[in-house]
Amino acid sequence: MVSMNVVLFISFLLFSVGVAGVLIRRNALVILMCVELMLNAANLNLVAFARHSGTVGGQAFALLVMGLAAAEVAIGLALVVALYRKKDTIQVDQIDLLKG
Amino acid sequence: MENLLAFIGRNMFLVFGLMAVGGAVALVFSKNAVHSVVGFLFSMLSVAACYLCMSAEFLAVAQLLVYAGGIVVLFLFVVMLVEMTKFKEKGLFQVQTPYAVAAVILGAVAFIGVFWSTWFGPSAAVPLTLSSPELAEGLNVASQNAEAVSRGLFAGYLLPFEILSVILLVALVGAVTLAKKERN
Repeated sequence: MVSMNVVLFISFLLFSVGVAGVLIRRNALVILMCVELMLNAANLNLVAFARHSGTVGGQAFALLVMGLAAAEVAIGLALVVALYRKKDTIQVDQIDLLKG
Repeated sequence: MENLLAFIGRNMFLVFGLMAVGGAVALVFSKNAVHSVVGFLFSMLSVAACYLCMSAEFLAVAQLLVYAGGIVVLFLFVVMLVEMTKFKEKGLFQVQTPYAVAAVILGAVAFIGVFWSTWFGPSAAVPLTLSSPELAEGLNVASQNAEAVSRGLFAGYLLPFEILSVILLVALVGAVTLAKKERN
């Protein structure tokens, strides 16, 4: 029997590692992967609450989130490749075209 | 030793969850981008095992297919496309790292405070139970789990499902447009 608190705690840890990665890394690829981590933490919560309430809505929504994550990764990676073609870098702190 | 094994058997979710967190930490703190992708893969596989522990078998298989089979390969392709040695890596982390770490630690302390009160406070932790017996049966057995999820998806949430298909189409067209070479 999985305790609710354990699920919430693990998903909180995953989410905070993802936030930390987005905030502190420079590499755009790693930032995209950290966004995926945060989506997965949310998915864990959805499944746990679906099991807690005894309905399948949470699991169905986790499936939808998975599809959305796939679409987001496709767009994000296309942006990274386009950026690399234009600026020869994917370090987010070197992309400062709008910086005054 | 036997006690340890019994403890692990009872807390499979905790074990796999900590493995997922370990993979995530490896993702964030490794210098090489390929090592980051391997950490990401490890984390996603552990999350799939977590779904299995919560008897969401269909989701676990979908996680394996979508993440380990699709997204990780896509990330590896882009890592190979983008020459990491071409640009100077001035430093792994951003300038505002101390502020970011301070903010994350502050949030972690706040959340741990909340968990502390639910774990050691007066109210006992509620175990994960299913309210109706037929749903419990449908969620527990692997073949019936897929049936239950599909019924929920196609009966209860048909409109979000259809909207998702449109979003996937838009993402497909957008990715092709963004990534193709400019002709001039």
